[in-house]
Amino acid sequence: MAAAFKTVEPLEYYRRFLKENCRPDGRELGEFRTTTVNIGSITTADGSALVKLGNTTVICGVKAELAPPAVDSANKGYIVPNVELPSLCAERFRSGPPGEEAQAASQFIADVIENSQMIVKEDLCIANGKLAWVLYCDIICLDYDGNLLDASVFALLAALKNVQLPLVTINEETGLSEVNLKQKNPLIIRKHPVATSFAIFDDTLLIVDPTAEEEDLATGTVTIVTDEEGRLCSVHKPGGSPLTGAKLQDCITRAITRHKEVKKLIDKVIKSITPK
Amino acid sequence: MAVEMEVADGQCRLRPFSCELGLLSRPDGSAAFLQGDTSVLAGLYGPAEAKISKELPDRAALEVLLRPKVGLPGVLERSREQLLRQTCEAVLLGVLHPRTAISLVLQVLSDAGSLLSCCLNAACMALLDAGLPLAALFCGVTYALQPDGAILLDPTARQEQEARAVLTFAIASSDRKVLMATTKGSCSVEEMQQCLAAAQRAASTIFQFYRDSVRRRYSKN
Amino acid sequence: MKATPLSNCERRFLLRAIQEKKRLDGRQCYDYRNIRVSFGADRGCCIVELGRTRVLAQVSCELVPPKPSRPTEGVLFFNLELSPMAAPGLEPGRQSELLVSLNRLLERCLRDSKCIETESLCVVAGEKVWQIRLDMHLLNHDGNITDAASIAGIVALCHFRRPDVSVQGEEVTVYTPEERDPVPLSIHHMPICVSFAFFHQGTYLLVDPTEREERVMDGLLVIAMNKHHEICTIQSSGVVMLLPDQILRCSKITAVKVAEITELIQKALENDQKARKEGGKFGFAESIPNQRITTFKMESAAVDTNDVEEQAGEIIAKADPPSEVFASPVVHTPGTAQIGEGIESSWGDLEESEKEEAAEEEGESEAAAFECEKVETEDTSTLKETKSDEPIVLSDSEEEEVVILEPQELPRKTRTQTSIKQENPSKKAFNKRRRKKRTSR
Repeated sequence: MAAAFKTVEPLEYYRRFLKENCRPDGRELGEFRTTTVNIGSITTADGSALVKLGNTTVICGVKAELAPPAVDSANKGYIVPNVELPSLCAERFRSGPPGEEAQAASQFIADVIENSQMIVKEDLCIANGKLAWVLYCDIICLDYDGNLLDASVFALLAALKNVQLPLVTINEETGLSEVNLKQKNPLIIRKHPVATSFAIFDDTLLIVDPTAEEEDLATGTVTIVTDEEGRLCSVHKPGGSPLTGAKLQDCITRAITRHKEVKKLIDKVIKSITPK
Repeated sequence: MAVEMEVADGQCRLRPFSCELGLLSRPDGSAAFLQGDTSVLAGLYGPAEAKISKELPDRAALEVLLRPKVGLPGVLERSREQLLRQTCEAVLLGVLHPRTAISLVLQVLSDAGSLLSCCLNAACMALLDAGLPLAALFCGVTYALQPDGAILLDPTARQEQEARAVLTFAIASSDRKVLMATTKGSCSVEEMQQCLAAAQRAASTIFQFYRDSVRRRYSKN
Repeated sequence: MKATPLSNCERRFLLRAIQEKKRLDGRQCYDYRNIRVSFGADRGCCIVELGRTRVLAQVSCELVPPKPSRPTEGVLFFNLELSPMAAPGLEPGRQSELLVSLNRLLERCLRDSKCIETESLCVVAGEKVWQIRLDMHLLNHDGNITDAASIAGIVALCHFRRPDVSVQGEEVTVYTPEERDPVPLSIHHMPICVSFAFFHQGTYLLVDPTEREERVMDGLLVIAMNKHHEICTIQSSGVVMLLPDQILRCSKITAVKVAEITELIQKALENDQKARKEGGKFGFAESIPNQRITTFKMESAAVDTNDVEEQAGEIIAKADPPSEVFASPVVHTPGTAQIGEGIESSWGDLEESEKEEAAEEEGESEAAAFECEKVETEDTSTLKETKSDEPIVLSDSEEEEVVILEPQELPRKTRTQTSIKQENPSKKAFNKRRRKKRTSR
């Protein structure tokens, strides 16, 4: 009976749950799904992380390459993020060139990197005007069950924390670069941005960490990215239901709490693999 | 170039605004919106017959295209198209025209700062000019946070570059709620709320501008 | 958006009017529509209106390596876009036949006529030259795109100024507009296209056809000419055979039209130049006619932001403060960790029963699990620190499981890892069971 009701009136089905302050999967409105992170499992990448947010699974691999810096910013390296939504992760995605959602997510990730200054591009420069690191951050969604942005930002952060770059020096005599693969250094991560997404139901109710089903039924979404100092790196509300400033403040409050949780998680996982 | 305005104490200024409605003959609704030297042209077709692949059974399918002036549209344009489309969808009563298509094309004529808010304003004026049923109006407001912490309304390109953070909001005419928000750079929670409160006030001025221009447009019959 | 077809009766009506030497907009056969040129605030940006046809043009430049075959010449790039705004039926990014032929014609008119000196665009031979890029966008399609685009193109090129450069040894310095005045392109002449539409197998001829007239025409002749009466390109298309006399007559008309248009362009450029020099107002805002009722202008308006700080403070003060963090991450293996089922779960009783069940399944009592954990924290050095500062949360069933499954045999860290990995599938299965249980409730 419940299944039939859900098929016929999905929105009404959800409303009945939300009225009781819970969701069909058993969560409260302000509750995240189980967050699992695994880092460093891709040996071919310079840094990698797999993040599971309930069923949503995102993997991020960071590949570092060397390139001459751009002429107008000679002391800066590059970070090139890319979000892929292959056809395997959900039915509605087609293979081929990236669709609007994937492109919008890529732009969002690029904005988060830029806004939060998690990596200062000057740190990636090896020799001024001659050599710099290019970090290709490929974020691939393996299973799409909503809240892609939170999972992607977390995967990116975890993967970047995992990056070990070899020492590169430029030989004074020959002018050639020498890579010392034995001596590896971690990247300097200046800030730890964490994203928290909300779905808006019926213009008033805010639920955290929406599943794909909830995203489809919702009338809008909001994503807040904060860093460890509680500063906002991004307030991203791409249209949808209008919200008051007070509601937005509630979102920010929840995002700050979520940041602490995730920070704890990432610190712990990094510690667990740090050789003593 | 626009003369940069002196900011009086506790006051922010909008640059001179101008708009022209129905200036294109082919589209069903069109508007050119200028904020200082930033200008955007919007043309809207529809509601018209939709392609079967794009048809929605319960509402009109809205498509928004943003065309840059130089080169082809890239990732930035696509992500802005998404912002603009979802903002328009939130106010457009698409359920009144099921199984039709509405296509809104925005052409950047010149970018001298606050481009996204100008796009939003042009889009809303085009929707108005086409006479589409709307639940509310919306307007775009951009604020820049200067390094000294002061907030600056409707920044020019140079002011945007110097700014610590740039925040753009789309404010709905009903209760001045936030329809869309996007930020560049990082700011504190207080600063964000300040900009939002200020944006809600600036929205009143912009809505008055909308009202006056539409009133003038229909002043003769 | 689908294009609307032209009905038969409209077609007949149009052809009949042409036979009677009448045009729908009241023009004579050889009349051009009004041309209006307006400039943007940026250099090299203009909008040309030819009647209701509107084209936007923008010129930009970039330093690039030259083509190997022409190491001392700059690169010219032209592109016309038919924006979907211009007419229904135009799709973005599609290279239609019309678009390809228009682009080719404009290229022949602007590049092959050698109106722009390309050698002056060379900075360092074989290494760095200027690439001049001309983007044109059709904004409203009311016929005769070719003429409108060719005017917009040449006006934008005349209006454009590129940054000044200097070469000292191998160093190339590009100066900002503040440091040195930007320099104009050197343009030898201004080729302008004039279109002629033919009807009834060439019996009737119209200059500057509108979109409606283009739809019923038999053939089209485009002649590009400069004010020195030199033909730059000529193209005839459609199904019409032309006599030499007709072409000669068309070229004479072209000469007259080109002279008029060139004069208009030069006047427009002079006016803009004057406005910029004298510090007057310029840009698109100035080109909007004030007297029309479709336009409205507002002077710079002040917005009162006096007490926004208080308002913002109020909102923040009213909101609940961030709650305490209850989540305690669980490390499964080095490199893998998890935060449980979120925070503040009110499903405590369920959690309780599940845990009991879990314990039963594994055949261990809770107390034993607890003890094992203690043993483990003493034994494993890697996990020691991470766990010691955390309160042991009894409700975290996974944690217990990890411990239970590897009782006392922890001589080396590597062994621990493998043993956990082996047990992973069973844990997953367990999680699944639990989820099932939850959803069924």
